[in-house]
Amino acid sequence: MKSNQYSVKVYETTIDDEDKFIEFFDTNYMLFKDYLILIHGHLSQRIKEYLTLKSLTYLHDIKLPKGRSRKAIEKEIEQERTQNAIYMQIAEAKLKKLSYRLENNLTVLDKMIRSGQEINIDGDLLLLNRVNSGATLNIKGNLIITNIVEGAVRCLGNFMMLTASHKANIIFQGVEVDNELLINKLNRVELKNSKIVITPVLKKEINWA
Amino acid sequence: MGIVIAVISGKGGVGKTTATANIGLGIALNDKKCVVVDFDIGQRNLDMILGLENRVVYDMVQVMDGEASVKQALIKSKASENLFFLAASQSKDKSVLKSSKVEELVLKLKEDFDFVILDSPAGIESGFEHTIEFADAAIIVVNPEVSSIRDADRAIGILDSKSNRVKRGEDVAKYLIINRIVAEMVESGEMLKSEDILDILDIKLIGKIPEDRGVIDASNQGKPVVLDKKSKAGQAYNRIAGRLCGKKIDMEDIEIPDSGLFKKISRIFR
Repeated sequence: MKSNQYSVKVYETTIDDEDKFIEFFDTNYMLFKDYLILIHGHLSQRIKEYLTLKSLTYLHDIKLPKGRSRKAIEKEIEQERTQNAIYMQIAEAKLKKLSYRLENNLTVLDKMIRSGQEINIDGDLLLLNRVNSGATLNIKGNLIITNIVEGAVRCLGNFMMLTASHKANIIFQGVEVDNELLINKLNRVELKNSKIVITPVLKKEINWA
Repeated sequence: MGIVIAVISGKGGVGKTTATANIGLGIALNDKKCVVVDFDIGQRNLDMILGLENRVVYDMVQVMDGEASVKQALIKSKASENLFFLAASQSKDKSVLKSSKVEELVLKLKEDFDFVILDSPAGIESGFEHTIEFADAAIIVVNPEVSSIRDADRAIGILDSKSNRVKRGEDVAKYLIINRIVAEMVESGEMLKSEDILDILDIKLIGKIPEDRGVIDASNQGKPVVLDKKSKAGQAYNRIAGRLCGKKIDMEDIEIPDSGLFKKISRIFR
């Protein structure tokens, strides 16, 4: 495809009085001969003939695309700039909040969770004590319990590490985990390719006595 | 100022009331002024175990309502002049207890006695909560079986959250009594070992009481078993009372079965 781009000077006018129009063009012919004439209103045969005679290029009753003024463009750029600044501020605030949550999401507890107690935590939990029979833990994040679990544990995180007795009720990502798989001294339960994988971290100490 | 000890268990029938009576009398025999208060309103038992059934004129609720003075309602024990008893109401129920009135009564008793022992009702309802509310220490009585231990665990949890001392930021001292231990059953693994119980409950052990037929007879006769110097349970209660009075008494291992001559011989042939 072959194309060229020109900038053309346009003289836009409306015809009220045909004589006046012809007179005006006669006097200013030298000025307008390279212009594109844009005419609004009624275009009579006489004018058409006159324009062809003078070999002037004209268009009748169309809307030309108009470039915007420099001021309008500047104003728009300014608006965009302030808008961008606002977006940046919002994004920064969101990022700050997220990083704060990431940094302060870990709860460390060193207290025994007794029967009847219920612990609900939004983030991660590191528990350094027992979970007794009849107690409940609801954890939305990851979970590590260093002592034995005999109560109920519900974990929605990516992984958890714990030891459970046969009395415990462990639910990971909504799936009940068989306690037989958790009797080692410390077990890692994680979600890998939407499958629950259980790996012993520390083997059960064999008591020979 | 005395010390207020609540005797709690969570589960019923583990021997709270018997323990209260025996520890109270044991403390009194150690020459300390002691009062035992039956908080089990509506189910009065402690008076029978102490053998003071027929002496009850005014009860605790009447004292709290101002119908009788504390002095009028206190009953002196036959076994020791250091031991006093305040009976529960047999006709009313637990709902009559009010925090402010319980506090008033407990503070009054605290002024006059070295030890104020409160016998809590079973369960964890309002009656239990009133018992622990103003206690400085608690004795938790358990049997070596899982249900008793879970209930005790729950009771300790409530004690740790609802007691007035905890609300003030102080600690409530907690002592464990393991009651009704049968050495043979512990040895054969049918009964929980005390180490396992201590692992679960994580509180200080103050004594272990062996199962003893004498306890039931003593309760029926109204003569707490602590008076019987030959009874194993009586001796155990005596040691606990001594420890509460600040004496240094070593723990005795009652989880090893009696090794009589016949058993020793039979073991050789096993």
